[in-house]
Formats: sequence, structure tokens, C-alpha cells
Amino acid sequence: MAAPAMLHLTIWIGVPVLAAFALSFTSYDVLSSPEFIGLENYMDLLHDSVFRRAMINTLVYVFFVVPVAMALGLLIALMLNMQIRARALFRTAVFIPQVTATIAVALVWLWIYDPRSGLFNAILSFFGFPTHDWLSSTTLAMPAVILVGIWQGIGLKMLIYLAALQALPEDVYEAAAVDGAPKWRQFFSITLPLLKPTTFFVVVTSVISAFQAFDLIYILTDGGPANTTSMITYEIYKSAFREFRMGYACAQSIILFVVLVILTIINRRINGGDRGDR
Amino acid sequence: MTVDVVKRTPSARRLEKSRPLVWSAIGRIALYSLLGIIAVVMVMPFVWMVLTSLKSSQDLAASPPTLLPTEWKWSNYAEAMQAAPFVTYARNSLIIAVSHTAINLVIASMAGYALARLKFRGSNLAFMAVLGALMIPTYTKIIPEFLIVRFMPLFGGNDLFGQGGTGWLDTWWALIVPGAVTPFAVFLFRQFYMDLPVELEEAARLDGVSELGIWARIMTPLIKPAFITAGLLTFVDSWNNFLWPLIVTHSDSMRVIQVGLSVFRTENGTQWAYLMAGTTLATAPMVLLFILGQKYFVRGFANAGIK
Repeated sequence: MAAPAMLHLTIWIGVPVLAAFALSFTSYDVLSSPEFIGLENYMDLLHDSVFRRAMINTLVYVFFVVPVAMALGLLIALMLNMQIRARALFRTAVFIPQVTATIAVALVWLWIYDPRSGLFNAILSFFGFPTHDWLSSTTLAMPAVILVGIWQGIGLKMLIYLAALQALPEDVYEAAAVDGAPKWRQFFSITLPLLKPTTFFVVVTSVISAFQAFDLIYILTDGGPANTTSMITYEIYKSAFREFRMGYACAQSIILFVVLVILTIINRRINGGDRGDR
Repeated sequence: MTVDVVKRTPSARRLEKSRPLVWSAIGRIALYSLLGIIAVVMVMPFVWMVLTSLKSSQDLAASPPTLLPTEWKWSNYAEAMQAAPFVTYARNSLIIAVSHTAINLVIASMAGYALARLKFRGSNLAFMAVLGALMIPTYTKIIPEFLIVRFMPLFGGNDLFGQGGTGWLDTWWALIVPGAVTPFAVFLFRQFYMDLPVELEEAARLDGVSELGIWARIMTPLIKPAFITAGLLTFVDSWNNFLWPLIVTHSDSMRVIQVGLSVFRTENGTQWAYLMAGTTLATAPMVLLFILGQKYFVRGFANAGIK
């Protein structure tokens, strides 16, 4: 009974992963057959300044999006964990960007960032801040992309934290309250330590998904201006489907794969083996 | 896990009451104001999207922009459908999302059941393979997946060795088959089947029910929530997918809604009102689905962690 699924996973995941590895040692343009070139793709990657730039951009994106979205997600989860009315309404509002297609979200933000008639500049000038053509500026495009990444990412983190908060044991808080520990003290001495496993899970899963940001870049900036917002995934797409350098693109995707596997292994180690064994 | 229920013990409530009333009132106001601001920031882009879709070209050109349209142009929607076949795109997406959901629910739940309840040769290996597949990022497999589709033998004018034609490119096969079964769904179903009591299937087996019968008629009805959760997640993922349909289709009639939107932007020098009308069409069904199925989404996302 597992056969259809296993067959499907073998053809569409197993074989492709092995093929990606094999193709990364070749030069291949789809039209003529692949030619074995050893480590040349990987050597070229070392000297590819655009790819290096994309890697740095990816790290910058991950470095800003993940902690900020996590902090905001936790903050909102804490507020929603109090006795408040309309909790479901607030939760829905925060979570909706997560279920919406990134393409749709990115198109809306493209319009919000519009230099002339966009909402963003209108709000900024209303409060007396200078306006900019955000997505066309080499220094501002990345922050603009990061802002959207944070906005879209808060929901999932909030949801996971909220679930964790509601599973926390209450007697510890009662004991602390009886001992006269103030709220902030309870937060730093009880809540945060108890949330540690959750936090770790959120960090790793968020880093893994932030590493793969593509749709946002595709719509908002096309990697520009001057490669300042290009990311690893965008370079893979460009090499494979615009330049038809399949072998080179596979080498790039193997690099990404190695990074993500390392992150996943760390996650499983620290979170006590795989979550499948109960 | 229930996210909606917050339990408060009497002692905790007493402690809250003991704080001065004024401060707690101010605290409440501050809390609700903050939450209100956050909610507005999160929802504003969607409001802006809908408002833009109803603006006239004069309103769109206004700088600074007006929040509300001076004239509500409902006709934008009809005109947008003329400017690009957004309805066809949405229909294509719907066909793909429904197919993915149906196939995934059947095949992944069978596999999940087998992995959870049956001991067969290589069952451990199969489970390890599913866990391994869970870790594979899209971008590692997408290039060879594309090549398999491109060189699919005997399709689209290809010969037995996959040469000469275009294979599955620009066909429903390419859009539906490769993404139809997800390791995540297999994993999720396995977890649910694991929790069912063994006595049930043993009794059925003694009564001579086949394994397929046990799966279909006895075990599966007990895990309906798993089906709703996996179904909703598959549906939304499939509807929102972009990169795969982008690379395997090129004709207008095969485009899905997300690709159609992205192409409309570049082709027509961006007519924002129409684009936002199309985007609203692409967004509204998922928002509605989420609001209706919140409970299941919450469970699915909280378990999955990764979208």
C-alpha cells in the first residue's frame, strides 16, 4: 500500500536529487548531452562574484528577517495569550499574509512601494520622513525586501509560539506569583527558558525557509538593482532557466542543499531525534 | 493542542483582581491599541489591494494617493478579465489544486497507514526515505525534475529516448503529476494512524477484511481531522505555487493564476487597477478557506513548522 507513494517519491525526489548531484559535475545546456567536467563548476562558483554577492545577500536577508519576525511573533503571541476579546480576529489578521501566495503579496507590495502613487511614501511623507524610490535604490532595495519578508513571516512564528505558550504548565506561574515575582521577572525566569525548545525549532525552520526566498525577489526586484537583492535561489533560477547552464545551476543548488542539510541535522540533534518517533 | 482555550485558575484570577483597577484599565487600553495597530499593519496591504482594484485611472495617478476611490469603478473587474484571462488562470489553478489534494489524500494516506500499521520488508527503510525526502529543498530537485518532464518518453513528440519533442512541457501532466504526493502528507498521516488502537484492525483482520478495506472503511474514518488538515494544506500550497508552473508552462491557456499575475505585470506595463483585481481574485479564496478552516490550519502549521 505504500508502493504508489514510494514510487512517486523515488521518481520525483530521489532520482532528481541524485541527478542534481551528478549534473553538478557536468557542463549541460539541455540541447547537447552533458559533458563531464569534474569540479570545474564548483571552482567557477568560488570566483563568481555575482554568486558570492547572492550568498551574502541571502545571509543578510536571513540575519534580519528571522530574528525580527521571531521577536514580533513572540510579542504578539504573548499579547494574544492574555485574556482578551476577539483573539481569533487578531490571530487571523496576523496570520493571513502567511496563507496568501507570496506572488500576490509581492505584487501588492510592489504597488505599495511605487515611487509616485505608492502608499508607503505617502505614509512616510505624512509623518515628515523623506520619500524614496525604494526598490530602485542599491542601498534601500534590500531593506525594502526584508520588510516584506518580516511582515509575511510574523504569522507563522506567532502561531507556533501561541501554541507553545498555551501548553506551558500553570502551577509554575502560580508559585512565582505567590512568591511575589513581578510579571517581567516571570517572563525572563520562567516563560523564556520554558520556550527554549520552541524557540530553537522556530529559528531553524525559519532560517531554512528564509534561505529559499525566491518569489519575493522575482516580483519585487528581479535581483536588482546591480545584484544587490539577488539570492542563492534566484541565481539557481537564472543559471538554469535563463542561461540554460544546467550543470552550473545544479552545483549552486548542491551548495544550498548542503547548507540546509546541516541546519536540519542540527535541528534534529537538539530537538531530540526525529519528531516521528513517539 | 487547542489555541483558543486559555485556562485561568481561581488563584491567578484573584491575583489579577488585586492590582489597582485604574492601572489595569490603562493596561487593557494599551494592549488593545497595540494589537489594533498591529492588526491594521498586517491587513492594510490587502485593504490597499482591494481599494486599488476599484480606482479609476485618475485616482491611480494621484500623488499623494487618495485612500478611497473618488469613483468606485466596479467595472475594473470585468475589464481586468478582458485584459487578461484571469478567470482561465484561476480555473487552471483550481483544477491543479483539486487534483493535487485528491491524489495526495488517497496515496499519502495509504502510505501513511502502511508505514504506521503494517510490517513489511523494508518498511523502516521506506520511512527513513520519507523523512529524507522531507528535508530535500525544492531548489535541489527542481532542475532534474524539469529535465525529466522535458524528456518524458513518448509524450509531446518525444521518441522512446525522450528526444525530438517537448515531453510534458506545457501540459497538465507536468502541472499535476510531479507535485501530487508530498512526503509531508505521508508523514502527517503516519502520525495520525499511529495513535489508533491496535484492537480495531486486529478484530477486522479476524473478520477477514482485506488490508485495503481496513484502511478505507475502519481506520480512515477515525482520522477525518487529519484529512481536513492535510487537504487544506495541500490545496493552499498548490494554489500558491509559482516557480514550478512558471518553468513548465509557456502558453497562455496553461498558465496558473500566480504565473498569470506575474506575467501580466511585465507584459502590459502594469495597469495597477487590473493587476490588483486579478490579485484579489487570487487571494480571496485562500483567505476565505483559512478563515473557515482555522482550527485545522493552526494544527497543520504548528506541526509542520515549515510551509
